Amino acid sequence: MMMNQGVNTQPIDPNPLEIHYIVDGNQGQTSSYLPSTTVSEATTWNTHRVDNHTIENGSLSNSTYVHSQQIEPPTRNDQDGLNATNLVGSSTFGATTAPQDYNNYTSYASATDPYGYASTGYPGYYGGYQQQPNYSYSQQQSNHSYSQPVGAYQNTGAPYQPLSSFQNTGSYAGTASYSTTYYNPADYQTAGGYPSSGYSNQSTVWNDGNYANYASHQYPNYSSGPTSSYNSGTAATAPINYQEHYKQWADYYRQTEVSCAPGTEHLSVTGTSNQGSAVPSVPGAHSTSSSQPSSTLTTSWKPEPPSSEYPSLQPGVTISGAHDGYWKQGAPSCQNYHASPMQSHFQKSFDLKNSYDNFQEQQKNAPQGLNSQYPVAHQVPPTYQSPLQNIPPLDSRRASKLQIPTNPRIASNLALVIPKTDKDGSTAGVVAKPAYISVAVPNPNDKVLSNDSADSILKPGMFPKSLQGYCERAFARCKSDTNMLAASQAVMKEIITKAKADGTLYTRDWDIEPLFTLPTPNTDNKGNSQSSTPLFSLPKYDKSPSRRSKSRWEPLPEDKLVDKSISVGSNTIKYGWDKKPLGGYSGIKEDALNKTEFSIPDQRTSSKSGQKPFKRQRLADVLNATDDGDASSDSDKEQGLTAYYSGAIATAIAPEEKKRREYRSKRFEKGQGHRATVSEVKQKNAGAGNLYSRRASAMMLSKNFDDGGSRAVEDIDWDALILKGNSQEIEKRYLRLTSAPEPSTVRPEEVLEKALSMVQNSQKNYLYKCDQLKSIRQDLTVQRIRNQLTVKVYETHARLALEVGDLPEYNQCQSQLKTLYAEGIDGCHMEFTAYNLLCVILHSSNNRDLVSSMSRLTEEAKKDQAVKHALAVRAAVTSGNYIKFFRLYKTAPNLNTCLMDLCVEKIRYKAVSCMSRSYRPTLPVSYIAQVLGFCASSEGKDEKESDGLAECVEWLKAHGACLTSDNGDMQLDAKASSSSLYVPEPEDAVAHGDANLAVNDFFTRATS
Amino acid sequence: MAYLSMGEAHRRITDYLDRFSDAIFSQDVASLKQLLSLSSNSASLLSLAHALDFFQDGNRLLKQSDKYSQFGEIIAPLFRSYQSYRIGNLVDCYHAFEKAANAFVQEFRNWESAWALEALYVIVYEIRVLAERADRDLASNGKSPEKLKGAGSFLMKVFGVLAGKGPKRVGALYVTCQLFKIYFKLGTVHLCRSVIRSIETARIFDFEEFPKRDKVTYMYYTGRLEVFNENFLAADQKLSYAFTHCNPQREANLRMILKYLIPVKLSIGILPNNLLLEKYNLVEYSNVVQALKRGDLRLLRFALQEHEDRFLRSGVYLVLERLELQVYQRLLKKIYIIQKQKDPSKAHQMKLEVIVKALKWLDMDMDLDEVECIVAILIHKNLVKGYFAHKSKVVVLSKQDPFPKLNGKPVNS
Repeated sequence: MMMNQGVNTQPIDPNPLEIHYIVDGNQGQTSSYLPSTTVSEATTWNTHRVDNHTIENGSLSNSTYVHSQQIEPPTRNDQDGLNATNLVGSSTFGATTAPQDYNNYTSYASATDPYGYASTGYPGYYGGYQQQPNYSYSQQQSNHSYSQPVGAYQNTGAPYQPLSSFQNTGSYAGTASYSTTYYNPADYQTAGGYPSSGYSNQSTVWNDGNYANYASHQYPNYSSGPTSSYNSGTAATAPINYQEHYKQWADYYRQTEVSCAPGTEHLSVTGTSNQGSAVPSVPGAHSTSSSQPSSTLTTSWKPEPPSSEYPSLQPGVTISGAHDGYWKQGAPSCQNYHASPMQSHFQKSFDLKNSYDNFQEQQKNAPQGLNSQYPVAHQVPPTYQSPLQNIPPLDSRRASKLQIPTNPRIASNLALVIPKTDKDGSTAGVVAKPAYISVAVPNPNDKVLSNDSADSILKPGMFPKSLQGYCERAFARCKSDTNMLAASQAVMKEIITKAKADGTLYTRDWDIEPLFTLPTPNTDNKGNSQSSTPLFSLPKYDKSPSRRSKSRWEPLPEDKLVDKSISVGSNTIKYGWDKKPLGGYSGIKEDALNKTEFSIPDQRTSSKSGQKPFKRQRLADVLNATDDGDASSDSDKEQGLTAYYSGAIATAIAPEEKKRREYRSKRFEKGQGHRATVSEVKQKNAGAGNLYSRRASAMMLSKNFDDGGSRAVEDIDWDALILKGNSQEIEKRYLRLTSAPEPSTVRPEEVLEKALSMVQNSQKNYLYKCDQLKSIRQDLTVQRIRNQLTVKVYETHARLALEVGDLPEYNQCQSQLKTLYAEGIDGCHMEFTAYNLLCVILHSSNNRDLVSSMSRLTEEAKKDQAVKHALAVRAAVTSGNYIKFFRLYKTAPNLNTCLMDLCVEKIRYKAVSCMSRSYRPTLPVSYIAQVLGFCASSEGKDEKESDGLAECVEWLKAHGACLTSDNGDMQLDAKASSSSLYVPEPEDAVAHGDANLAVNDFFTRATS
Repeated sequence: MAYLSMGEAHRRITDYLDRFSDAIFSQDVASLKQLLSLSSNSASLLSLAHALDFFQDGNRLLKQSDKYSQFGEIIAPLFRSYQSYRIGNLVDCYHAFEKAANAFVQEFRNWESAWALEALYVIVYEIRVLAERADRDLASNGKSPEKLKGAGSFLMKVFGVLAGKGPKRVGALYVTCQLFKIYFKLGTVHLCRSVIRSIETARIFDFEEFPKRDKVTYMYYTGRLEVFNENFLAADQKLSYAFTHCNPQREANLRMILKYLIPVKLSIGILPNNLLLEKYNLVEYSNVVQALKRGDLRLLRFALQEHEDRFLRSGVYLVLERLELQVYQRLLKKIYIIQKQKDPSKAHQMKLEVIVKALKWLDMDMDLDEVECIVAILIHKNLVKGYFAHKSKVVVLSKQDPFPKLNGKPVNS
C-alpha cells in the first residue's frame, strides 16, 4: 500500500492534479466496470436487462444501451449540449489539465481512421500517450468524459460501453479474474449446474454469495421497472442481500442516488475520474466526437486490439458468447492468473485500490469510515461482477499484450522514484483500459456488419460508417461458423431496423455499440478457443518486470486481498450503473471532487484495515452462499470448499490461521490413518444411500458455523465423502475428473485388481496401458485405497514408463511410491530405491540431493543388489570412469539399464573428448566401440561387432571426430579430434526438451 | 515447589510486569533480554511461571493499569508460554512464544531506533531453539514436526522488518544466520538463496558493518553451501574468512569450520598438518590425508568407508571421493620417481602394466582397460602431463613437470 501511495504522489511532478488523475483514471475504469457488465453481460444478464428496459422504455432492442439512453434523456440534450454541461462541471476542477487532455484528444483524433484501427489507430494512440506524459491519465479521463457525453447522452447504448472499457482498465486483470468467478454464480443460477468446481478457488465463495443475492433481490428490482424505482430498489435490496455488513453500502448508495439520481453510471464516472481531468478531456472529446462522433472513439480503442494481436472481433465474440463458453474461458484464465501472477496483481491491485478509495471518499456520504466501507464494497462486488465474466478473459489478455505500450507511457509520465511500482500501477490502469475499450467497440461494429451483409434492405451506403464497421465486426465473429453467421445476420437486421425505428441509426455510436450475443450454441466453442489465448498471454504478463517490485518479504496472501479490493471497486461502479436512472451529474461530480482531496491520505489506512474485514467477509460469504443455495449440490459444496481454501491461503500469514491450518492438517493425517478402515466399515454398514446422506450432513455442517468458517471445514466429516465405486467395467479410459466422481463410474478394489492384471497381460502398446493405469490410479485415489494393490499399480506403471522412457510419468509414480513405502506398505522397495538413486544421479546433477539420498540409505538397502549397482554407477559417473559405467551398464539388474540409457550419450561424449585429449596419436575405433558399449555384447559375434563398429563410426562422425583409416582399421585421430568434437543438435529435438516424449518416437517405441 | 502465597504470587507477577515496562520505557535492553530469554532457565522466570500457576488471573493484573496493558499483546502469550515451558509442554510453549514474538516484532517495527535489537536477537534465538525442541517432542509422539518450519517463516518476517534502511539493518545478519541454521537443519537449503541474495546484492548492507560473530557464522554457512555446489574456490575463501575471524577461544566453532575447510583445502591440493587434525579432533581426516600423501588408494577408500555416515551427513563425501584422482596422481608420481632412480632415460615412459601391478599391491583389482581409462582421465584433467599410447599401452610423460601441482586450484572437471 505504501508503495502505491508513493507512486501516486511521486509521479505527480507537474501538477498536483495529476495525482488525481491517476486515481481518477483507475476509478474511472472501475466505475466503467458497471457499464461493461451491461454491455458484455452474459445471456442471463441480458435478459434481465431487457426486461428492465422493456418496462422502462418499452424498447427491447438494445437492452443495456437503450435503457441508458431513455433514462437519461432529460440530462442529455444534443451531444453538444451534453458536452457543454460536462465541460462546465469538469472545467472547474481540472482547468490545469484541460489543455493536456485536449492534446490527447487530438492525437486520438488523428489516429482515428475509422476502420483502420488495427495498425494505424493504435500507433497514434500510443504516440499520443508517449508525447504527453500526463496524457495517459488524461486520456482515460477523456475517454470517460467522452463516453459520457457522446455515449451516455447522445448515443443510446454506446456511451456506456466506453465506460466499460475504462472499467476494465481499473479492475484490469485481477478484477477480470475475479469477475469471472462472480459471473460463475450467476451462470449457475440461470443455466443450472455448471462445472464450476474446477474454477478458481476464490471465485467460488463469491459466486455463491453473488448468486444468492443476485437472484433473489436484484432481479426483482429490475422487474419493477421504472428507472427511479429501479435505482432505489437496488440500493434498498443491496443492503438486504449483504446483511449488516452491507448496510453501509446501502447508505452509500442511497446517498449517491440522491445526489446523482439520474444515473449511477454517471455517478461512477463522475465520482471517480471525472473531477479534474475528465472534464477537460470532455471538450476535446466533444469536438472530435461531434465531427466524427463514433469514429474517434473507435479508432482510439481499436488500435489496442491490434497491438494485442487479437483481432477486435474475438473480444466481441467472447462477450456475446454463450454462458457456457464463458465459463470455460473464465476458469482457465483465473487459474493462470493466480498461479504465478500474484505479484503483479498485487501492485496493480494497489493502484486500483487507491482509486477505489478515492472513489469511495468522494462519493461517500455515509458516516462510516473508509474501512468499514471497504469491506462492504468488497462483498458487494460479487453480485455485480457476475455479469462481467465475459470481459475478464479478454481484458486480461489485452492487458498483457498492451503492457509494453503502456509502460513507456507511464515512464514518461512519471519521474520514477519507484519505477517498478509505477509501472505496475500504470500498466494496470492504462493497459486495462484499452483492453476494455477494444472489447466494447468491436461489438457494435459487428452488429452492423452482420446486418449489412445479411440484409439487402439496409445498404451499406445508407449507414454511417461506424455502423458498417459494427456489422463487419459482428460478422467477423461468425466467420468460422455458418450457422452463427445466419443467426447473427438475423439479429443484426433486427437491431438495425429497431435503430431506424428509434431514429437512432445515425445518432448511435456504433463503434461503441456492443456486439450482440451470438445466437447459436456454437459460441461455446469459440469462447473456449478464445479463452485459451488469454491463458497464454497471462503468464507472460506475470513474468513482466512488475514481479520484481514486490518485496520478497511481503506476504503473498495480501495480494489476493488486494485483488479482491479491486473487484470491489468495480462492483461499486456497477452498482452505480444499475441505479443509472436520472440524476444531476454535476452535483455528484462536485461531491466527488470535494471528497477526493481527503481520499488520498486516507487510502493507506483504509486499504490496510480493509484487508482483515475482507477475510471475515469472505468467509461469511461462503456461509451465506451455502445457506442461500439450498439447492446445494455436490458441486456447490465443492465450490464452497475450494473457496474456503483459497481464503485460507490468503490469510495464511496470520498466526491464528496458521494454527488452524495445522489443526486441520493434523486432522487430515489422522483421517488418513484410519481412512481406509473407516470408509470400508461405513460402506459396508451403510451402503450408498447412507453415504449420500452423510455427505449431505457434512454439507450441512459446513453451513452451520458462524465464525471464521475455519471450523466448518474441520467439522466436515471427510470420511463421509469417501466414495465407493460400483462399476464393473474392467477397462476404463482415463479422464481427468472435473467434478465429483460418480460411484457408477468408479471401480471397486476387486475390479481394479482385475483391471491391473488385464493391463499387465495386455499386448497393446504403452499408450493404451498408460491410459488404463492412470484410470486405475484415479479410481484408487478417489476411493482412498492405499494398500498393496496401490503399490502394485504404481510399480507396474513406473516400470512400464521406464521401459519406454516416459520419465514424467515415472516420476509421478516414483513420488507416490515413496510415500506409500513410507507408510509401510510392502512392495519392491529396493528396486525402486535403486531407480530413485539412479534418477538423482543421472538426471539431477544436484549434489545435495544425491548426498542426502545416499545418506538416507539403510544398511539393508546398501546390501541390495540393485542399490549396490546404482551406487556403483554413481561412483562411475562422478569420477567419469566410462569403462566402469559401460561395464555396469551391461550387468544392470531390473530396469536400471533404462535409466542409464538416458545418460549414455553424455557419458560417451565425455569419454571421447577425454580420449582425444589423452591418447596420441591414434586410437582404434574398434576399441572405442567396445569400451563405450557400442557392441551389444562382447560375446564375439562377428555380425554384432561389426554392427557396433559401424554404429560407433557413425556416432563419432556425428560428433565431429576425425577418423583415419589405417590398413582398413578405422582410427580416431586424437589430436585432430580434440579440437573438433562437438555435441550435435539432436535430430529429434522437441520443444519441451525431452526427445523421449516426441510423439513419433513414442509411438514407434510403444508399439514395437 | 513449595506452597506459594497469593500475595507472593501477586508480587512476583507485578514485579515482572514492572520490570518489563520499565525496561521498555528506559530502553534497557539488558534487562529486557533477561525477561525474554525463556530457555535460560533463569530462576526468576521459573518462579514467575510458578506464580502464574497459582495466580490464575494474571491477565487481569495485566489489564489493571495502562502501563502494563499496552504490552498485553506481548505479555499475555508470554505468560502462557512460561507456564507451558515450566510444565514441559514445549509445543504449546512454542505457540505462545511465537505469538508473543509476533507482538514484540510489531512493537519493534514501530520503534525508531534499534535499541531493542539485542532483545530481538533473544527472541529470534528462542524461537528457533523452542521450535527445535518442540519438533523433537512432536516427533517422539509420532506427530509431524513442523514447528521449525513455522519458525523459519516467522524469522523470514523478522528479516523483512530488519532488512530495510536504517539502524536496524545491522540485525539482519543475525536473523539470516538463524535462518541458515533452520534451513540446514530442515534440509531446505535452497531457501537460503533468497536471503543470501538480499544480503549480498542489496546496497543497504555493507557487509563489514555487521557484527563480527554474524559475519563469521554467515561465512561458515555460505561456505558450506559452496561446498555443496563444488565451488571450491569460493568455499575456500568463505570458510577461510570464517576460520580466521572466528573467536580463537571457540574451539567447537573452529572445529565446525575446519570440518568443511579441510576437505576443501584438500581438493585444491593443500594438506593439513597432522597437529591441526589432532588439535580439533578431526582424526577422521587423517587417513584421507595419509592416503593423499602416500598415493594409497586403498587407504582412501577405507577411510571413506569407515566414516561414510559422517561424511555423508556433513555432505563432504563427494568432495573426498574426488580426491581419488589426486591419489592416483600421487601413485603415478611415485612410480615415476622409482623409474627415474632406476633408469632416468626411460623414466618418462610408464608402462600400463606397472601401474596395474602397483594397484594390485594395493588390493585394487583393476584390469588394463580400467587403468587405461583412469590414466586417460588423469591426463584429461591435467593431473598428468603427457599422453597415452594405446598401441603400446604406455603412458608417455612430459619431460617437464609431468605431475603438475594443483597450487590452490581445483582439479579441472
